[in-house]
Amino acid sequence: MGRAVISVYLCSSVVAKLMTMPKFTLNGQEIEAKPGQTIIQAAQDHGVEIPFYCYHVDLPIDGNCRMCLVEVEKMPKLTTACTTIVNDGMVVRSDNDRVKEAVRGVLEFLLINHPVDCPVCDQAGECRLQDYYMVYGLHTSRIPLAMKVRKRKVIDLGPMVVLDQERCVLCSRCIRFFEHVTETGEMQFFGRGDHVAIGTFEDKPLDNPYSGNVVDICPVGALTSRDFRFKCRVWFLHSTDSVCGGCSTGCSIRVDHRDGAIFRLLPRRNAAVNRSWLCDEGRLTFHQLDGERVQRPLMKGSEGVQASVTWDEAVRSIDSRLKEIRDASGAEQILGFASPSATNEGLFLFKRYLRELGASRFDFRLDCEDKNVFEEEDQILRHFDKHPNSMGAIKLGLASDELDGIQGAIEAARAGRIKAGIVMYLKPLVPRPSDDEAEGRIIELIDQLEYSVVLAAHSAEWQEAASVVLPVTAWSEEEGTYLNFEGRVQFAAKAIEPTADARPVWEVFAMLLHASGVESRWMSAEDVFATMTESEPAYRGITLDQTRLPGVVVG
Amino acid sequence: MTKILLANIDKPDQTSIKKYRERGGYKALEKALAMEPTALIEEVKTSGLRGRGGAGFPTGMKWSFVPRNTNKPTYLLCNADESEPGTFKDRILMERDPHMMIEGMAIASYALKCHLSYIYIRGEYEFVANIVQKALDEAYEAKILGPSVMGKDYALDIFLHMGQGAYICGEETSLIESLEGYRGYPRIKPPFPATHGFLASPTVVNNVETLCALPWIIQNGGAAYAKIGTEKSKGTKLFSVSGHVNKPGVYEVDLGYPLLDFINNEAGGVPDGRKLKAVIPGGSSVPVMTAAECEGALLDYESLVKAGSMLGSGGMIVLDETTSMPETLSVIADFYAHESCGQCTPCREGTGWAAKILRNLIAGKGKKADLDLLLKIADMMEGKTICPLADADVMPIRSFVTKFGSEFEALCSN
Amino acid sequence: MIQFSEEAMRRYKTILSHYPEKRAALLPVLTLAQREFGWISQEVADYIGELMGYPPSDVLAVATFYTMLHKKPAGKYHIDICKNVSCWLMGVYPCIDELKHQLGVEKREVSADGKFSWDVTECLGSCGTAPAMQVGDRYYENLTPARVAEIIEELRND
Repeated sequence: MGRAVISVYLCSSVVAKLMTMPKFTLNGQEIEAKPGQTIIQAAQDHGVEIPFYCYHVDLPIDGNCRMCLVEVEKMPKLTTACTTIVNDGMVVRSDNDRVKEAVRGVLEFLLINHPVDCPVCDQAGECRLQDYYMVYGLHTSRIPLAMKVRKRKVIDLGPMVVLDQERCVLCSRCIRFFEHVTETGEMQFFGRGDHVAIGTFEDKPLDNPYSGNVVDICPVGALTSRDFRFKCRVWFLHSTDSVCGGCSTGCSIRVDHRDGAIFRLLPRRNAAVNRSWLCDEGRLTFHQLDGERVQRPLMKGSEGVQASVTWDEAVRSIDSRLKEIRDASGAEQILGFASPSATNEGLFLFKRYLRELGASRFDFRLDCEDKNVFEEEDQILRHFDKHPNSMGAIKLGLASDELDGIQGAIEAARAGRIKAGIVMYLKPLVPRPSDDEAEGRIIELIDQLEYSVVLAAHSAEWQEAASVVLPVTAWSEEEGTYLNFEGRVQFAAKAIEPTADARPVWEVFAMLLHASGVESRWMSAEDVFATMTESEPAYRGITLDQTRLPGVVVG
Repeated sequence: MTKILLANIDKPDQTSIKKYRERGGYKALEKALAMEPTALIEEVKTSGLRGRGGAGFPTGMKWSFVPRNTNKPTYLLCNADESEPGTFKDRILMERDPHMMIEGMAIASYALKCHLSYIYIRGEYEFVANIVQKALDEAYEAKILGPSVMGKDYALDIFLHMGQGAYICGEETSLIESLEGYRGYPRIKPPFPATHGFLASPTVVNNVETLCALPWIIQNGGAAYAKIGTEKSKGTKLFSVSGHVNKPGVYEVDLGYPLLDFINNEAGGVPDGRKLKAVIPGGSSVPVMTAAECEGALLDYESLVKAGSMLGSGGMIVLDETTSMPETLSVIADFYAHESCGQCTPCREGTGWAAKILRNLIAGKGKKADLDLLLKIADMMEGKTICPLADADVMPIRSFVTKFGSEFEALCSN
Repeated sequence: MIQFSEEAMRRYKTILSHYPEKRAALLPVLTLAQREFGWISQEVADYIGELMGYPPSDVLAVATFYTMLHKKPAGKYHIDICKNVSCWLMGVYPCIDELKHQLGVEKREVSADGKFSWDVTECLGSCGTAPAMQVGDRYYENLTPARVAEIIEELRND
């Protein structure tokens, strides 16, 4: 256990003090803390910023950086706010000259051996050294360059991380992450004194599926993202709150983008789902959005060749063709095959439109999504189901016993029991070897159908076999909700504009419903969500607000 | 003066259990085993014995912080990591009278209801460790250690654990961390070792010299021990004296003994008629005293604080008039920079920076402003770290630069 | 592939038996490994990690904290000579010069015959018998340059 004993101790104090809500004075203001809270936590809750590098809410306490020194009445020395539990009647100051001078000193110490290479450092703009320098420092360097301790730079630590030992403030966050979160211990301190440096054994690359997190938690530019490095200065980026589309865990994330291009995905802390973490595959999902896109609606003409049409033409044609088939052969000849990557709103109107036609054959399972959705790939975050909304599809009743997945649909089509279908296909954002096989099943299904409407974001050769191809938005290009493995509904905002003429799935079906004669009153995903909460029992009474951090588990 | 710790130090074959017992050894343990553990703690409290490693914390009080009714085991750790520059007293005790330490450990263990105890000895003392190991083997053979200590229903194992070169491991939480198999990073306190020590269990860490005083205290009573020394500094203390003296070595004196008498009598005075310039009385971590400050100073915890320094470990370094104070400080500062564990910011960065400024100064490349900076760095480090190592650097820096300022200024260019 | 000799393996098991938790044995086991293999190479760290069930990075992190564990090859006789206050006051630097002269290598380098390496070290606890140096489990005290030359000669002929 070693020094982590302090976390055990702090937790045991929580138990001992459970009954009390300590009141204490912080900078002259009386504040009520939660039982067992440390000074730094209570201060944060009340908007008082105490500086720190090593403290992290999801890691064991270490107390090594000494930036959070505060003055506590009756204590002869300054004490660290991250290690001191609030006691009733405590009088704490974080704003007097004694504390400021101490913090200024610690900051100067951190900077003496720092290379101050901000102009070429990716952390610039979100660096705590820079931030605190502006508040506490503003001093001129008192150390000659020749006296600085030199360490190694640009050490390649695998696909996600680049290490610069000189920029490191030795806060041990990365070490604690690998020790206590992944429990793999790849990163360590080596050496002693001012020659201590962080690193891996023999500079081995980090082959850990969560390695990218250490870039996020590094408060300085020591660990930078191999993927994001030198791509963009962070102050040019815009951030949008979203939900990871990589698997059924549904981690809360932030999409950083500029001019319609995504530059990086970062975890947003969600204590109920992913804490502060995100897996590497999830982090890189946005690269899967690259690739050729379906530009505009395509429809087969009389010669059987696809040509561009307007949305209006496409929608009218689809609605009338499907009704013809229904009238001629019966509604059971119409199949709806959904994608577990679509939003709840898209799936909800999809189902409503098919119901409107009188159809009741739905499914979404290309594989065993309904089982994999619960299967943990590891003990940290990842699930085997690489779709963000299989649970949403299940809750909407899209897993039909009759078809039992795509194989059933193919067989029914082959046997002539299904003639027409609306088929959504959205490529999983976390690629797996089985993806090609799954896509093959879609191709097989399309081939069997007399009339097929394909909704896709990315174009593929097989789409040429479809009667109609409709371009839909990809993940991050639309707003909507997703239901994770435990049934937690979470809202993802739209980060970037869709390509060309792609539309959200919900909008496609809103148009079809309109064409079908249903009064369409849905102008946004939010409107669709409202309708869904009225008509879907699982969602009854849930407001869109509740779907924001941390989300809510539906009935 | 009473000889408690060094009474038998020069007697032949004192390291053998046979001779140790012939000279009254293990009688105190026998007596202790017939007492209640709580009575033993009271006896040690009565004696006024204070930790001899450097901090001077009352031993009985330290023991009383250990929870009595816990379902976790209690550990006693003997701190034999003696590494404070100028200190070589524990080495003599272990080299020449190892059974006294083992007896002290057994008494302490029994008082603390501890059944597993370790001697953390610095790796450099391997030849000492060999002597201690032999003594431990003898003690096991004589059934003084093992499942039934001296035939009583009390089991005790003592194992030797060797460090591998890290001064910081003499700090008690660092020692624990090192004993657990980690880098010797000191721990944040609280929690204190008394409740969350080795393997997160109640733990007492006592210095070799402290433990060696226990057999005498138990045999003669805490009150007898308390009669020796001064009101607040009771008993005897070992001083290891080195540097510019005629008779360097380890001497036992009653606390409160005059400092200059010690240097001139026990240590034989400064050689070759040279004049005394300064004394570091308690290991390199304590403030240096000028010759003038030594006048009338007494060797006890309170008097030395009054005289501008501290008793520390009792590792006394004597400096004569030929000594360069900046160079001495540079040697000391290099030591702390080398031994800083690197865990917390002020110490990791400050000790290294100070050492470099001093090297620069010695090389004749310093400026007057560097002296202010040195004092500033001392302020920036002091009281802001996890453990006392930075403060141990601050004290020499501040005392050398302020008390011998002109010598430093003479090295500076403007 | 390196591995402990049978004797070292027995010693390893004895060490483990001294501690309620295996981890506590790591430092003594590293000491044993140095005795066996001469220094703590990355291969040794890997082996000890494998043997005890810790990541090699963890083992190396511990090894690099303790100065007596060599992180590069050392001579058969590795000499640590103290440069702390009392040894410095009593004239260790001429002894260091003599040592360097005798061995003909810089500190932390190994002599051509593989027999010697040396380094300066901090206080050995020999202040009363300064200057002092350590060779293996032996202290040489009250050094003078002449005495240093003698000692090296003895060791060379050993």
